Amino acid sequence: MQDADFREAYRAHKDVVYRFARRMTGSQASAEDIAQEAFLALWRDRAAFHPERGSLRSFLLGVTRNLALQRLRGMWPQEELEDDCSVTAPFDIEGIQRAEIVARAVAALPPLQREALILAEYEGLSLEEIARATQAELAAVKSRLHRARENLRRMLAPLLATKGSVYGTSR
Amino acid sequence: MEPADDPKLRELLREWKVEEAPQRLRARIPALRQPWWREVFTGSVRVPGPVALLAAAAIVLMAVALLRAPSAKPPATRPSPGGLAGFQPVQVARVRIMESGQ
Repeated sequence: MQDADFREAYRAHKDVVYRFARRMTGSQASAEDIAQEAFLALWRDRAAFHPERGSLRSFLLGVTRNLALQRLRGMWPQEELEDDCSVTAPFDIEGIQRAEIVARAVAALPPLQREALILAEYEGLSLEEIARATQAELAAVKSRLHRARENLRRMLAPLLATKGSVYGTSR
Repeated sequence: MEPADDPKLRELLREWKVEEAPQRLRARIPALRQPWWREVFTGSVRVPGPVALLAAAAIVLMAVALLRAPSAKPPATRPSPGGLAGFQPVQVARVRIMESGQ
């Protein structure tokens, strides 16, 4: 990868990398640090990217994901990455803006569910691309995504109900 | 089991927007730095809207003020003592040839 290729890679992918890190960590400062480290890692170890194994976007998101999980482990060492837990309590929606409620609900998801949901819903990655970026089996990605949506429906039930939906109320 | 594609949930999730990567991120990656002369031609400066409007208004006002200003008269010139002021050309020129010994 030449200088010009690297500059083009930065131009094309800086926003997706930053947004993913921002949503995973919930922090602007952490997202900037992670995005910087991801691009520095690409620059230092350009041979690690093999176009035949997947797109540069998937590669960068994989690096970003590893850096974000490292940081989350540093912030909350006791938190389980395991994705089979449920988040059951609906949110108290009074006094909080809808976007803030959604941000909190996504942040409340276990990290492996969170990353699958963010990549699918916000960045539009296919299941195969998510599997590549997260180094997971396709079935595991489907399962995490399913559980993430289930958890969100439960947490956001009050908001979904106000939109005329009955999702999340069949408990 | 609920459908994988849930438009209502998706619509609600889209309400959480996050900002794009900030400009300062670029400066934190040494490999993206360019020579100063290239920055001059390719770089950009972000200016807050109100500041840009004020600057544009100031430029317009200055241009109008310059156009409306009366043209300055050239300063009156004083004859300099050693100059040609008051010089009158001779009416008739008589040529007299002087030879040596005369």
